[in-house]
Amino acid sequence: MSKELIRLRNICMAFDDELVLNNINLYINDKEFLTLLGPSGCGKTTTLRMIGGFTTPTSGDVLFDGVRINDVPPHQRQINTVFQKYALFPHLNVFENIAFGLRMQRRPDPADPRKKVKIPEEEIRERVMEMLEIISLKGFENRRPDALSGGQQQRVAIARALVNRPKVLLLDEPLGALDLKLRKDMQIELKRIQQQVGITFIYVTHDQEEALTMSDTIVVMDKGSIQQIGTPEDIYNEPKNAFVADFIGESNIIDGVMVHDQLVQMYGRQFPCLDGGFAPNEPVDVVIRPEDIDIVPVEQGQLTGTVTSVTFKGMQYDIIVDFKGFKWLIQTTDHSPEGARIGIKIDPDGIHVMKKSQYSGMFGDYSSFSDEYDELDDAGLEPDEEESGDEE
Amino acid sequence: MKRRNSVMSRVFTALVFLFLYAPILLLIVFSFNRGNSNTVWTGFSLDWYRQLFHNRLIMRSVYTTLLVSLLATVIATFAGTFAAIGFYSLRRRQRAVLNTVNSIPMMNADIVTGVAMCLFFVAFFAFWSSFAAWFNGVQHIVTLPTRLTLGFGTLLIAHVTFNIPYVILSVGPKLRQMDKNLVDAAQDLGCTWMQAFWKVILPEIKPGIASGALTAFTMSVDDFIISYFTAGSSSSTLAMTIYGMTKKRVTPEINAISTLLFVTVLALLVVVNLREAHMERTGQQERRPRSQRLTHFFDSPRGRWVRRGTAGVLAAAFLVVVVLLTSATNAQPVVNVCSWGEYIDEELITQFEEETGILVNYQTAESNEALYSLLKSGAGDYDVIVPSDYMISQLIEEDMLSELDYSQIPNFSLVDGRFKNLSYDPENRYTVPYAWGTVGIIYNETMVDGPITSWSALFDDQYAGDVLMFRNSRDAIATALSYLGYSLNTTDPSQLRQAFELLRDAKSRGVYQSFVMDEVFQKLEGGNASIGPYYAGDYLTMLENNEDLRFVVPEEGSNWFMDAMCVLKNAPHYEEAMAWINFIASDEASMANMDYIGYASPNTNVLENYPAYYEEVYGEALDPEIYEIMAAPAEILDRCEAYLVLPPDIRTLYNDLWTELGI
Repeated sequence: MSKELIRLRNICMAFDDELVLNNINLYINDKEFLTLLGPSGCGKTTTLRMIGGFTTPTSGDVLFDGVRINDVPPHQRQINTVFQKYALFPHLNVFENIAFGLRMQRRPDPADPRKKVKIPEEEIRERVMEMLEIISLKGFENRRPDALSGGQQQRVAIARALVNRPKVLLLDEPLGALDLKLRKDMQIELKRIQQQVGITFIYVTHDQEEALTMSDTIVVMDKGSIQQIGTPEDIYNEPKNAFVADFIGESNIIDGVMVHDQLVQMYGRQFPCLDGGFAPNEPVDVVIRPEDIDIVPVEQGQLTGTVTSVTFKGMQYDIIVDFKGFKWLIQTTDHSPEGARIGIKIDPDGIHVMKKSQYSGMFGDYSSFSDEYDELDDAGLEPDEEESGDEE
Repeated sequence: MKRRNSVMSRVFTALVFLFLYAPILLLIVFSFNRGNSNTVWTGFSLDWYRQLFHNRLIMRSVYTTLLVSLLATVIATFAGTFAAIGFYSLRRRQRAVLNTVNSIPMMNADIVTGVAMCLFFVAFFAFWSSFAAWFNGVQHIVTLPTRLTLGFGTLLIAHVTFNIPYVILSVGPKLRQMDKNLVDAAQDLGCTWMQAFWKVILPEIKPGIASGALTAFTMSVDDFIISYFTAGSSSSTLAMTIYGMTKKRVTPEINAISTLLFVTVLALLVVVNLREAHMERTGQQERRPRSQRLTHFFDSPRGRWVRRGTAGVLAAAFLVVVVLLTSATNAQPVVNVCSWGEYIDEELITQFEEETGILVNYQTAESNEALYSLLKSGAGDYDVIVPSDYMISQLIEEDMLSELDYSQIPNFSLVDGRFKNLSYDPENRYTVPYAWGTVGIIYNETMVDGPITSWSALFDDQYAGDVLMFRNSRDAIATALSYLGYSLNTTDPSQLRQAFELLRDAKSRGVYQSFVMDEVFQKLEGGNASIGPYYAGDYLTMLENNEDLRFVVPEEGSNWFMDAMCVLKNAPHYEEAMAWINFIASDEASMANMDYIGYASPNTNVLENYPAYYEEVYGEALDPEIYEIMAAPAEILDRCEAYLVLPPDIRTLYNDLWTELGI
């Protein structure tokens, strides 16, 4: 990709005695769409606020274009933010909300560069109108924010930030307050706008699907640490540990032992795989995505188990299979009745072996996992207490 | 059963409201009374309102009230708003603690706040004066004033102090309702914190600030107790002035001003409540088109200039007012006078101010005793006081008066020889007489058999239940002493005990309807009592409302009193005090005063020419009998005696007897 724009170096952040960010190292390229993804309280909003200048790290450096900006106040950064719940100014109409940043700006007078002048009114008008066009809200300029729908307010908030032509746009869970349908539309809309204006977007969300859809790069965070950085494909296909595997998509995570390179042992049986680089007989976590499992007749199966539940999902069936008291989720287009004995087969490229981590053993049994899955899906509608920042 | 219940509850509600509003209604009705009685309706008139606007004491205090309320509101709104923002940015637990601390002053009894502030100021002044003395001693570049006193400044500080909590209380919730991210958003878009405050926070919390300011203003206008303790002697709010006027008697003028005050506060409260209701209603709705147009105008570039200009003009005007105010109070010479209610023709104050350029702060005290304790407490910062004879001798004894410079008071020569070198000031070094009068019996001709001539009427079963008696020990016991033929200044305990027995017997036989001071006006004017002892000058006022009343100085003799102008030791404005005394002692001023207050002047020319003056002004001859009551002729005065200060043990005896009488 293109050149590096922002770098976070050894960032630590503590509120009172609690470590909120723990040694964050991250670089962000120009024109990149980067997403900070993680559950509530993982430190993603704090990281965003630090880039925006609303908080200062306890230690470490924030670099912008190679210059340390730890102590530069928000109004002097070439960065704008779209806030949670938009934070539109209720006493100003749409036009004035969008024009707010332009009216604050002073720039060198072309006639006399020593003098700073305001942006002329015609230019403000032109630029605001241009933004209104981009967000498809022409004709709404005299409306008050409280007379707009959630999606419209959202777009005004984006326009208000973008009209200043920042180098970076920060978006703090901008779609959290919208309903599912609108959220999907806005995801596409946001991506379109980013490509149109051609600047860096740093996006905070706890919705993995949102992250996978829009991002060039995803940074998965938990408990104040970065768990993995990568493209959506990397993150999905090669999760670094059980947390990432669990958080991104759906996974069966099983205790295993790496017999030697390209051979892993689970349930006392050996499975060929593509991974290597482990010590002989090293205990590992094995991730198997539900769609990578094939159902085969019992006699051909690498493992055999009993179907305990079948759910029709339209495109596929979600089948829960019990292997010796351990439940797996399998997604398949073939129907198997409840109570049937089935065999399964996993191709070597469907098996991902991960080193043991602090998350090992936390996400094993799919029966407990499924609750969490539901929860994450709905999380967008819940108030995001801890994420709202440095308050508590 | 149920039905009866609802009738009962309706009646009960009606009674509650009647009880709440009947007194105020009565007051409002009588403010439109033509006569000056509060019991007898003589027709509709707006005279009292008209008079109100010519009463400079009231107008001055209206000015003081408005000024202190406005300034206090502005300062408290400013301070309270920023305090609320400070509270808001604190952590939840600290904020809860501070909110509690903030609400304590509102719950606290006003009297405690008032007394505490008064004590604090006095203590600070004491500290200041020693600091200033030291400071002036070590350097000579700046001279600090050593003497600070209670006044407009302390009044303002007190009002600001008790207003701030109300502002915080109404701004706080608005801040909490505000989206926390708004400030971040503004800063993100290029505002410094201060710009974010003006452009984003302020418009959001404006309704809270406005209702906080309105509440503060209402509280300020309304306040009496805290002002009473912090205003000192040089300034007086409307509430204080009204209280001062009621010490004499409740005139319809007071009704009128009270009505106006009531209506003003009511109007302010209605505005506050309407605003709140309006805010609640428009909370969810879109704003009205009109206001939108207006704000749109203000948002437009031209509008912003208008807005900025308006703000600038307002700020400048405010500054000018403050500067003018401080310079006016500092530069202009002042004299602080403390006298009695309705005891001066206020035209004279205006006239004096115009002639000399000296500003007169005119205050009133309730009684000699109240004045005395005020002076002793150190809170009475007066130049000229007008105490009565016996109190003057006590003040001289305690070295609280300053000798007068008679070379600056040439008009002292106009005082009749009879009224110079009196017993309270034998060498006449401290006093210039102000007015004098006699004590006698006022009775209702239609309610008694034949004219009354003796004090015996006050101890007679014949009029049992219709007789009034003084509610102060000295005057009450004096009536009995006069009746018994003893001196009013007797120090013989057995004579005093005898007088006391006489009073106690009459009381136990039910002769006295009640022991009163100023209620005497209502009772005698309204015909609720037939006989009562009181002062000659007040009789003339009562006569205007009830023609059946008569006055007599009983044959046994009575008390005559002299009120004289004195200057306090260390008076801050001695020269101005001399000018004031000389002015009041002049023929013209003394004449106007005598006509206004109904008490006799000590000025020879005035006493001689008053009947002619009366005829000229009122177009009819003065009834010689009336004139005799106003200014008792020598033969009556000869059988009267002035009070002297009593030795401490006799004063104690007076108190003991009075307690024993059980009033």
